[in-house]
Amino acid sequence: MDVELRFHIEAFAEDLVRGGVPLQEAMRRARIEFGGIDRAKEECREARGMTFLESVVQDFRYSLRMLRKKPAFTAAAVVTVALGVGANTAMFSIVNAVLLRPLPFPEPDRLVRIAFNEPGLGLRDVPFSVPELEDLRNRAGVFKDVSTIASASENLTGAGHPERLEFMVTHPNYFSMLGATPQIGRLFGPQDFALGFAPVAVISDGLWRRSYGADPNVIGRSVRLDNDPYTIVGVLPPGFRHPGPTISGNVEVFQTAGFSADPAPPPARGTRFMPAAIGRLKPGISLEQAQTRLTAMAIQIRQDYATDFPAQARWTIEIQPLQEALVGNVRPMLLVLSGAVILIVFIVSLNIANLLLARASGRQQEMAVRSALGATRSRLARQMLTESILLSFMGGLAGIATAVCTLSFILRFVPPNIPRLSEVRIDGAVLVFALLISLLTGLLFGLAPAIHSTRAAMSSAIREGSRGSGYSTKTSRLRDVLIVSELAFAVVLMVGAGLLLRTLRDLLQENPGFNPTQVVAANLSLPEPNDPKADPYLSVAQETSFDRELLRRMSAIPGIELAAITSDLPTTNLSVNGAQAIDALAIEDRPVESSLDLRAERIRISPDYFKVMQAPLLRGRFFTEGDGDGKQPVVIIDETTARKYWPTRDPLGQRVRFGADPTQPWITVVGIVKDIKSDGLDIDGIPHIYVPIYQSPNRDLSIVLRTSLPAKVLEPQIRHEIQSIDPGLPTFDVSSMNDVVDRSLASRRFSAELVVGFAAVALLLASIGIYGLLAYMVGQRSREIGLRMVLGAPRAVILKLVLRKGVVLASAGTAAGVVFSACATSMMASLLYGVRPHDPAVFLVVPLILLVVALLASYVPAWRATKVDPIVALRDG
Amino acid sequence: MAKQIDLLQGTLDMLILKAVSLGPLHGYGILLRIQQISKDRLEIQQGSLYPALYRLEHQGWIISEWGESENKRKARYYRLTAAGKRRFQAEAEKWNRMAGVIAGILGTKPEEV
Repeated sequence: MDVELRFHIEAFAEDLVRGGVPLQEAMRRARIEFGGIDRAKEECREARGMTFLESVVQDFRYSLRMLRKKPAFTAAAVVTVALGVGANTAMFSIVNAVLLRPLPFPEPDRLVRIAFNEPGLGLRDVPFSVPELEDLRNRAGVFKDVSTIASASENLTGAGHPERLEFMVTHPNYFSMLGATPQIGRLFGPQDFALGFAPVAVISDGLWRRSYGADPNVIGRSVRLDNDPYTIVGVLPPGFRHPGPTISGNVEVFQTAGFSADPAPPPARGTRFMPAAIGRLKPGISLEQAQTRLTAMAIQIRQDYATDFPAQARWTIEIQPLQEALVGNVRPMLLVLSGAVILIVFIVSLNIANLLLARASGRQQEMAVRSALGATRSRLARQMLTESILLSFMGGLAGIATAVCTLSFILRFVPPNIPRLSEVRIDGAVLVFALLISLLTGLLFGLAPAIHSTRAAMSSAIREGSRGSGYSTKTSRLRDVLIVSELAFAVVLMVGAGLLLRTLRDLLQENPGFNPTQVVAANLSLPEPNDPKADPYLSVAQETSFDRELLRRMSAIPGIELAAITSDLPTTNLSVNGAQAIDALAIEDRPVESSLDLRAERIRISPDYFKVMQAPLLRGRFFTEGDGDGKQPVVIIDETTARKYWPTRDPLGQRVRFGADPTQPWITVVGIVKDIKSDGLDIDGIPHIYVPIYQSPNRDLSIVLRTSLPAKVLEPQIRHEIQSIDPGLPTFDVSSMNDVVDRSLASRRFSAELVVGFAAVALLLASIGIYGLLAYMVGQRSREIGLRMVLGAPRAVILKLVLRKGVVLASAGTAAGVVFSACATSMMASLLYGVRPHDPAVFLVVPLILLVVALLASYVPAWRATKVDPIVALRDG
Repeated sequence: MAKQIDLLQGTLDMLILKAVSLGPLHGYGILLRIQQISKDRLEIQQGSLYPALYRLEHQGWIISEWGESENKRKARYYRLTAAGKRRFQAEAEKWNRMAGVIAGILGTKPEEV
């Protein structure tokens, strides 16, 4: 535009010069004649009008200016939005990886989990036999491929130091069925088919890096798994995870077997020992069609082999999409947590909407002036909305950045039993979701103030110096409701957190029946090789001699006062093999009505066990060295067993027997001990019977040592001693007993911490909300306050004026919150232990905390109100 | 020079369109041409020219592009668009009709009322 206008003036001047006017004079006249370039430019601009894009950019720059003018407000709003968006981003990345994204295999919707159920007996997932596997492969005509899967733990030796790890036995076609490819070497194939176990193994990337230092020459190396030799033929890529539940987290070794020879029993239809199977459906057949055919096949099999399939069991086959089987049972918890996190966004939006409404009422004059100058209502609303969206995007970006940085940190706290956690990352879908949430937040909190305040602008005239004694009652009513709802939400979350915390504390304080302080625990497992010739612990005599030697060496370590071993460490409710050892019981002189009635958990211990754990003996005696193999079999029972099975008689001297085999000898009860919380701090009522480990040895052992030395210091010595007896034995999980007890509460602790976090955030937001509301109220009413002060009102009255509003809001919110909590916590009852859902202490303390915090948040604006200089207020108000 | 006749905004637009319809011109050239066609009886207020040009361009009746002037300087040239041509014809018709009506009113003899 400049160039054009300048050209015009120069051309005009030239003409004048041609007419004889000197140059200077000509330029001067030209300029005067033209009349003010800048004004011309402005008129030109106006005439040209603004394109939509230009007006959006103008809005944007104006919003930026407005936000910069109020840095405190902007910072507070950005931080709150960042909180909401960040939490949602993290949550969604988990939900996306676990629930939404398909499994990382080709055509994952074709993969199914196969289960055998006996609905007539109320049983699901019963084991199956080899002929049934054959039926699935050959007879059903439904599967492209089927593979058994069986996982357990075993000892790995021959690669650096011995390790205890989880392994899985599969059919040779397991990897080709899933579509997995090796990182180096090869995976199983049809050539690996063997009647028993094939002598080949495939290892995970994790094991390869840990124990072999990522050595590419690992192929062909030999390892011993539970003392059986295997050759490593391949390494899996880093991202591979078995798509199913695992014991410890990741399967490190894969083996393959035909299950038709040792160590498996002979493949007969009634011999059911295979635990699980997965399959890939043929192309073109739907899940429903496949299920129908399998159900029909099951009926046919039942008829053909009536003796192996009793009619009332109604044995049948069920298939389920593999992803569903994997994540189905964590879906509810994840969805609930997502809901809670979205609630946080809601609270965040409520908060900011409140703050914006407050600001909008202060900008009424500005709005009125602008509309008088010709701005349409939609233009005004658009500008306010731009401000909100700009705010929410700034907060959103901050939130995404925080989520990206802290994701790995957050994942550390998530309990490991949630599947597919390794696949959690922030990818395109998560980013899109985060941006959408930011946009939604911006719209949520921006729309209401934008519409509301522009409506006011249209109708009000410009009043000179009128800030009034307040703001429109409709606005203030709306804002009060918003704050009260925020407070109610906060109360609900705080009550939930309080109950969970109390549960945690009660559990920790609960007497576990033993003294975990100054006890160190270590675990080891004797191998169970497939080849009996490779088993150094085949006979009871061999095992007990190992146990005795172990105890002798442990006791010899300096600093150890007393040593003992047990098959089940207290508060761990799974023995390492994964099965709870609850056995059927038979009591002498008592008819066995049904084998489900008399049951007890069998725990094997060495004689000094109770002394190490400092569990008191109630009656009778402890085990001694004399209770060995070949001597009279004895047991010690706990209180629960005594109460349950001999309520009126003295259990000492009574005799019991495990299992239904009548040829087994009777065992005498020689002692009664106080209950030990063997299965978990929150599990009561399971009867336990202790047997001497020399009479009934166990492969999985836990050593308990009474000592004042810390676990870290003792660990190398313990390892050394165990290696000296048998260098192939891995020692794992050496820690203090206190840590073991703490760890048993890990998932409870996680959910309690999560809810406490939410409650803290909600409380913070609510108090910011109260502060903001009252601060603005004071600003609006400063004229009135000045007036009151001039008329003689003491400080206290001004304070009370502001505080009263805060207290009223807080009380209303607390009352509403308490009512909601009373309803909500009844649903929580299953998560609690030792605490009633309507625990009076929690319901008293939480409102108190909230009122105190609300009062503090109100105090600052109230105090500021008393500092108002009446002269200034009256002049400017 | 004859007395300046005050122009209404609409008529200025029409004159500009007419000037440009005879060939593309830069702003100063349009000014001169209008003066020329009106046989020096009309002189446009220089300050109101450019806002009018921008408005007409925004409305799509004329279109501008940079070019070289007679003395090799950079100047913006305006020319008529097809829509502008149609608009000009419509406006010119309206103006002539209006002029006819007003002339008729002004020429009414007292007896004809």
